[in-house]
Amino acid sequence: MARRPPITNRVRELREANGQLSQAALGEAVGVTRQTIIAIEQGRYSPSLETSFRIARRFGVGVEDVFGWEDE
Amino acid sequence: MSFREKSAWVMAAVMVLTGLYYGKLALAAPDAPAGATLVPYVVVVVVLSVVVQIVLAVANPKEADAPADERERAIIARAGNWSGIALGAGVISAAIGFTAHGNGTLFFHLVIGALIASQVLEYLFQIVLYRRGV
Repeated sequence: MARRPPITNRVRELREANGQLSQAALGEAVGVTRQTIIAIEQGRYSPSLETSFRIARRFGVGVEDVFGWEDE
Repeated sequence: MSFREKSAWVMAAVMVLTGLYYGKLALAAPDAPAGATLVPYVVVVVVLSVVVQIVLAVANPKEADAPADERERAIIARAGNWSGIALGAGVISAAIGFTAHGNGTLFFHLVIGALIASQVLEYLFQIVLYRRGV
């Protein structure tokens, strides 16, 4: 198993809080595939800074409200 | 499973099957000119690849049209890098073998074999990275 990056995220939580936004719809909104959203939620992929900002902007929050460092 | 992972599975299967076909041709006529083995192999690879990609695209039209996203591009690049190392190792091994046996036809077949094996590995690396994470 690949070493998981020490980055946590609240993507799933924010999706659910935003009217059960689907993974496919979020992916389409930020320019990635549904599988990439799944990988981000499971911590198997750390998105680029640009995609991180796109995700945060989609939810109307700051990047640090979506992503965090594991020991925080 | 994403379109590109499906494509990697299918292309890995195509490369394994056509690689076996190449091996069969080479073993059946070991002294035949190298082109007599390579030409039919290339024709079969091209035709099969086009057919399976068309079938995949027809079954997944929306995903087939979409460009690779950042994660998919990273996976494709990393798998290509690793398979390039495998190809280099195969070609160097074939060249070292050639200095020992001096058989040009065998050297040719080993280099083509290394190319086929590196392609199979590239698709397998992609599948691993799609599943394990990049």
